[in-house]
Amino acid sequence: MINTRFVVPLVAFTALVFFLYQGLFSDPRERESQALAKPMPTFSLPDLMEPSVIYTNDVFTDQVTLLNIWGVWCVTCAVELPYLTELSQQGVRFVGLYYDQDLDPDFGTKTLARVQQEVIETTNQLGNPFAFNIFDVYRDTSLDLGVTGAPETLLIDQQGVIRVHHIGDLNPRVWDSKFAPLYNELMAQQSLQFTPRQTEGQP
Amino acid sequence: MNHLTRSLFIIVSMWSLLTLSGLLFSHDVQATQENYAFASEQQRQDFKRLTKELRCPMCQNQNIADSDAMIAHDMRRKVYQLLSQGNDHDQVIDFMKQRYGDFVYYQPPVNNSTIWLWILPFSVLLIGGWILFKRRPEISHTDEQVEADLLAKADEMLEKDK
Repeated sequence: MINTRFVVPLVAFTALVFFLYQGLFSDPRERESQALAKPMPTFSLPDLMEPSVIYTNDVFTDQVTLLNIWGVWCVTCAVELPYLTELSQQGVRFVGLYYDQDLDPDFGTKTLARVQQEVIETTNQLGNPFAFNIFDVYRDTSLDLGVTGAPETLLIDQQGVIRVHHIGDLNPRVWDSKFAPLYNELMAQQSLQFTPRQTEGQP
Repeated sequence: MNHLTRSLFIIVSMWSLLTLSGLLFSHDVQATQENYAFASEQQRQDFKRLTKELRCPMCQNQNIADSDAMIAHDMRRKVYQLLSQGNDHDQVIDFMKQRYGDFVYYQPPVNNSTIWLWILPFSVLLIGGWILFKRRPEISHTDEQVEADLLAKADEMLEKDK
């Protein structure tokens, strides 16, 4: 009788301590992306610089692509741009999914020309890793992807399926741990399948 | 007893004050929202209910009606769009869940990892009740015994002091 009196609270307390201890190392903002292992949602969006050019899902077929969601208004994006540029010089294909904060689709006051001007200024200053920028005018595609802010980076494979969804900036540590292994594997597959196109994507 | 009722009164009045100010405050937030033209009163009610039930994925614990984050703006616009296209409450919830996961809806689904939310409170209640039920007669019995012993002891001491 005396035994259980001490053992039960002790066990309960230990369990509670263990539970709370685990909580110290969990990130409440971390949650599984719903976009993973799914094909890129269908979209049809204009080029940021040349609105008459319309991109569809075709831009992701037969190529391994990193889709970077960004905007000039986003501070962290400016931090990662030089590193992305470095990676693109090593042959990584980057496509930008651009969205603007001030350009409210319903009550917009900012002109497209001004957005373009800002983008050119930023990329001239910090580097331009992007093959091209898709302009997510109404931010619909971002919403379909489950994007909560910028920057976010997606790794899209040759079949147009999203394989990695990273929230936050892309830095050497994140690249090495989260992207590089899968990226290299996908690139190895690609060079096996499309031998003549092996050098594609090199600057 | 008097002390107890007084503290109870203080707690209740503070609680109602807080609730009241909370109501006033949330009304203030609602007033700053965008203007949407609804086709019907039903649609307006659906919109109000949905924006209260959907959680902003960017902010830690705000619904999309209260949040001023851009993603909340976009989600409100999407809710409005979906309602205008004739989707009902559950379809809008499903749409958001597909994109932002179960996190986005304040009502968690019952599955293997969340079942504890329902089991734990009831099991704590049951165990507590069981312990109380088991202990009570025992305690009162020993209390009487102890009291009698103490009384005897006190009598003895008084007797000695005389």
